[in-house]
Amino acid sequence: MIATAAFYVFAAVLLGSAALVVSARNPVHSVLFLILAFFNAAGLFLLAGAEFLAMILVIVYVGAVAVLFLFVVMMLDIDFTRMREGIQRYAPVGATVGVILLVELASVFGSWQLLPQSASLRGAVAPGAVSNTAALGDLLYTHNVLLFQLAGLVLLVAMIGAIVLTLRARKASRRQDISRQVAQRVEDTLVLVKVGLGAAVTEAEFQRPLPEPAVAAAEPHGGGHGHGGTHAAEVR
Amino acid sequence: MIYAVAVLAPILGSAIAGLLGRAIGDRAAQAVSILGMVIAAICGNIAFAELTWGGAETGTVDLGTWISAGPFHVAWALRYDALSAVMVAMVTLISTLIHIYSVGYMGHDAYPTYRFFSYLSLFTFAMLMLVTADNLIQLFFGWEGVGLASYLLIGYWYDKPSACAAAIKAFLVNRIADLFFAVGIALVFFVFGSVEFPAIFAAVGQHAGETYTLFGTAWPVLEVIGVLLFIGAMGKSAQIGLHTWLPDAMEGPTPVSALIHAATMVTAGVFLVARMSPLLEFAPTAKALIVIVGGSTALFAATVGCTQNDIKRVIAYSTCSQLGYMFIAAGVGAYQVSIFHLITHAFFKALLFLGAGSVIHAMSGEQDMRQMGGIWKKIPATYVVMWIGNLALAGIPFFAGYYSKDAILEANFDVGTGVGLYGFVCGVAAAFLTAFYSWRLLIMTFHGKPRAEAKIMAHVHESPAVMLVPLIVLAIGAVFSGMGFHAQFIGEGWHEFWRNAIVNAPSNHVLADLERVPESIALLPTFMGVLGIALAYVMYVAAPSLPGALTRAFGPIYRFLLNKWYFDELYDAVLVRPAMALARSLWQVGDATLIDGVPNGLASLATDSSAQVVKLQTGSIAIYAFSMLIGLVLLVTIYLLFR
Amino acid sequence: MNWTLALPEIALAVSGMAILLFGVLRKEESGFLASMLAIGALLLAGVLMTATGAGHAYDGQFVVDPFSVALKLLILAGAILGVALSVDYNRAEGIGRFEFPVLIVMATVGMMVMVSAANLMTLYLGLELQSLSIYVLAAFARENLRSAEAGLKYFVLGALASGLLLYGMTLVYGFTGTMDFARIATGLADPMQVSAGLIVGVVFILAGLAFKISAVPFHMWTPDVYEGAPTPVTAFLSTAPKVAAMGLLLRVMIGPFGHLLAQWQGLVVLVSIASMLLGALGAIGQRNIKRLMAYSSIGHMGYALIGLAAGTVSGVRGVLVYLAVYIFMSAGAFAVILAMRRGGRAVEGIADLAGLGRSDPALAMLMSVFMFSMAGIPPLSGFFGKLYVFLAAVQSGMWTLAIIGVLTSVVGAYYYVRIIKVMYFDAGETGFAVRPATLSIVAAGSGLVTLLFALFAAPVVAMAEAAARALLG
Repeated sequence: MIATAAFYVFAAVLLGSAALVVSARNPVHSVLFLILAFFNAAGLFLLAGAEFLAMILVIVYVGAVAVLFLFVVMMLDIDFTRMREGIQRYAPVGATVGVILLVELASVFGSWQLLPQSASLRGAVAPGAVSNTAALGDLLYTHNVLLFQLAGLVLLVAMIGAIVLTLRARKASRRQDISRQVAQRVEDTLVLVKVGLGAAVTEAEFQRPLPEPAVAAAEPHGGGHGHGGTHAAEVR
Repeated sequence: MIYAVAVLAPILGSAIAGLLGRAIGDRAAQAVSILGMVIAAICGNIAFAELTWGGAETGTVDLGTWISAGPFHVAWALRYDALSAVMVAMVTLISTLIHIYSVGYMGHDAYPTYRFFSYLSLFTFAMLMLVTADNLIQLFFGWEGVGLASYLLIGYWYDKPSACAAAIKAFLVNRIADLFFAVGIALVFFVFGSVEFPAIFAAVGQHAGETYTLFGTAWPVLEVIGVLLFIGAMGKSAQIGLHTWLPDAMEGPTPVSALIHAATMVTAGVFLVARMSPLLEFAPTAKALIVIVGGSTALFAATVGCTQNDIKRVIAYSTCSQLGYMFIAAGVGAYQVSIFHLITHAFFKALLFLGAGSVIHAMSGEQDMRQMGGIWKKIPATYVVMWIGNLALAGIPFFAGYYSKDAILEANFDVGTGVGLYGFVCGVAAAFLTAFYSWRLLIMTFHGKPRAEAKIMAHVHESPAVMLVPLIVLAIGAVFSGMGFHAQFIGEGWHEFWRNAIVNAPSNHVLADLERVPESIALLPTFMGVLGIALAYVMYVAAPSLPGALTRAFGPIYRFLLNKWYFDELYDAVLVRPAMALARSLWQVGDATLIDGVPNGLASLATDSSAQVVKLQTGSIAIYAFSMLIGLVLLVTIYLLFR
Repeated sequence: MNWTLALPEIALAVSGMAILLFGVLRKEESGFLASMLAIGALLLAGVLMTATGAGHAYDGQFVVDPFSVALKLLILAGAILGVALSVDYNRAEGIGRFEFPVLIVMATVGMMVMVSAANLMTLYLGLELQSLSIYVLAAFARENLRSAEAGLKYFVLGALASGLLLYGMTLVYGFTGTMDFARIATGLADPMQVSAGLIVGVVFILAGLAFKISAVPFHMWTPDVYEGAPTPVTAFLSTAPKVAAMGLLLRVMIGPFGHLLAQWQGLVVLVSIASMLLGALGAIGQRNIKRLMAYSSIGHMGYALIGLAAGTVSGVRGVLVYLAVYIFMSAGAFAVILAMRRGGRAVEGIADLAGLGRSDPALAMLMSVFMFSMAGIPPLSGFFGKLYVFLAAVQSGMWTLAIIGVLTSVVGAYYYVRIIKVMYFDAGETGFAVRPATLSIVAAGSGLVTLLFALFAAPVVAMAEAAARALLG
């Protein structure tokens, strides 16, 4: 009884906040409603007995993704009124398509029934005596190891993509190179020159700083690659 | 296996010479294609020798699958039996000699000749594919390849309008025959369910009595196949009715003529008939047709040959006539004799053509015999080999042609049927005419007073060694090939020589009967030959006024013969003009107004709708996404409505 | 568990990562070396393919059978051609970074997984791996506004398509309770029991995959992405991913949903007809050759779909032959397009081809071969591709499809032949810059395959037939 009530509460809030994500005028509000929606979805998962999914949803989506969203929305100056114009222009078409699809899906779900033998076809049946963690581990790392590794590859590609598309090694940027700093010796930076008392210093005798080492200048993406590489290693 | 090398070396040479000719230079291209041919000739003749004397097994050399569609299987395979091997040996040998000869003959050509050598090798390769085919489709591949290469070579001097016209004519006439051949192949597949020779030949007996209903009439199916295939052969082998392309093909360079006439093209029809012998043995009507067409051609071409003045045309009609001989032999079931004549003919006809080429070369390109004469002392070597060639052609004893031609006429005589007799009579008459026009050619070309201009006469010279050596080799062949192979081909050794390559029905013992012909009949062709020579001597040496008088006395007949029985004119009036008229009316009414009108309308419709389609492509992601969603909704709706 | 069945994929993925490390650690510009290594890795995967056996692995999520082997060989060939085509272009355009071949290798891993998928989840992950790599590749020339736009467009629309696909998969899972292809197939053995919701799910899956093969009405991205993406990416996009997506579509529709043929057949017919029509009509007015190739690929996928619509062994065989023929025609045509450089930059207008017949006869000749082949003129390979799918349609009694196919290929011939006309009969500027050897090799090699296909058609068709029989069981 309580479970049923909780389900309806979670579901109602979920749908309501989802609608508000789309319709809120302030983008920051949109993101906050999105977070609310995530929480309610996590609640629904809990009700269904999928606590692992619920926690993942909270940690990953709320903790990481949504917060990132919030940063981006706040940092980028997006003109939402202009985007709204587009929405108004496409609204009639969108509404028509949406309504038709809704009606169709409603009619389909109205007559929904499971395949009679679906229970026997299930792939990953919850094991009885094993603890939840062990069962999950078995599922992820034994039965679905292929999928797990493939997902890893997908993430690797995403990372490569992000780096390839955005990383720009600016020529002017000066980066701190700790090892070089530490390995610095006095002779490298300091030159002691004896200057005669009262002697004029001609233009040619000015000491200029040593040029940067050639290696760092030749490879504009050097730093970026190192970055990508370490991440790649972590993912594996 | 060396047999495959013999077949494939020419195409390699052709490809290198043709594709890289410009890069590696003319000399190198010639060398490569000749090298390919020499290798092919050596391998081909070794393969032949192994089969004949070395006791090698017959069989097939598989090269791979070509087409496999349902029950229709075609393989790339080389058939290795006496019939194929002898053809391979002959084709590669003659073609090699012609290649070498061409180096000298084409030496004065203004353009680089790598294209020419590439085509020659291609021609040879196509013919080799044809003769080694193990199925009808591969044979057809070679058949069409030969047609293509002949088109390219006849029209080699493409800046000469007459050469282009001749090339097109050769191609078209052959296409007509090929259509029948293709229908024949289809019918074979329809009846036998296979196009592989072993399968067909094994099943012939079961289909002997079957009929095939078309247009409400039941036809004996094997007869229909036999006739269709023979019509195909008629086109390639220039038999009467479909012969008109052959004399015109003289527009190509002379080595090409030699190749076409001796080795690689016209013999294809005879080969086909011999190859299909197991099937033809069950088709007596088709065989009778072969004899009638062959006999008529032999006689017809010989009569025309007597009146022509172009040296190459005379030899061309002589080829036509000799092919007729080969068919009358095949038609009475003596396929072995027919192939025997094919081989001996290859030697002396190549010799005659190359000799004529040498004469033309000496006369600075002059081909009209009326402008020649009195040159025998200036080009003695050519003169001698032309004599040898003509002796062989006329069937004078102990030269090559004697053995084969005699055997043909004897075979026709001793089958004893009416058809056989027709072939015999035509053959004997043609033998007389052959000797006549051969000596007419010799005398007009070499003897008498010089009729050419002084400038040309001063320039007459013997050909270079590169042209003479092939001539001498061919002359040796023209003298000895008859004597040398008589025993194997049609003599006592024929059973073990041919083995199963050619099949004679049990009732067909024409070969065994060859020796039992009366003496008088056996000597008749020789006698007729001598008579022809005598007549030529009388008309062109003893009484030079006689030909003129005869021409005046029998004006209509002379003009009839001179104009080649008006075949070209007949075709022009019956086929070409009506076709042109029909085409013109179709063009102006059907094409210009109807057919052009509809597509033009459709085309503008297409471009208009194209503009509409492209209009949606605005570049906006939202529109793209919406169109995807609309598409999805559409599909779901269609499914829900029409499930 | 027989994990070695995925050895080619594993080897390829590990080599991809090794190339990545190599590129990172090597401080210099290493695009060329990385490309060569990538080609080596792809060849290695091809060699390993011949060594692995057949069967299911990874809990039945991964299958190796003649069908997947045939497709993987095509995919690897397409990928090798793609890498080969990219080397010189990327260097000339200043995008010769080592990530390019790495991404192609990763996309190839994804594609190979796609055609080996025996589970909806494997399918999805393979598809995403492939798609994500290609999104990045499309935007690879990030300084170029159009390239960035192409990448973004492809990404956004691709995400939408993935959404549709996932939604369809949930519907199927919700109905049958399983994601395993074989189990789904047994569950759906009796079409009478199947509820409408499942079929709607199948329609969603069809839509998601139709996006990947750019079939109408999910094709809208194609012209823009083809035009905007760097040309080697476009070349790659039009070969291997098309093979993989079409293979996946075949496997899903014929495998788990094979019993529902009567239900989805009509939709495939509709999509096929629409694609053929749009491909033929849309290309007519184009001036940019890459855009034209986009419409051409839409049309070609329409033809290939005919085979799927037939749903028989000969239909699947037809699709496979079509794909085999298509990747070589397409790669060859793109090699020619890549050779279109003048004054140090690439030109893409059809009018820029004018006079090529005189300035570079060999290239013009090859282009003519590809165009004639795409138009389906015998005896070039394109003719055989069309022949086998039309044959399948006729054998299944789908005369409408075959007739529309023939009619649209007549319209299509118009714009293919127009290119030849431009090359040979229009007066043009001076010739293109000297073309690099890789392009010549790829163009000549593809040209030979296209030209001489008739000679070795039998083994290809036999292989396709074996693959089709494996798929239809």
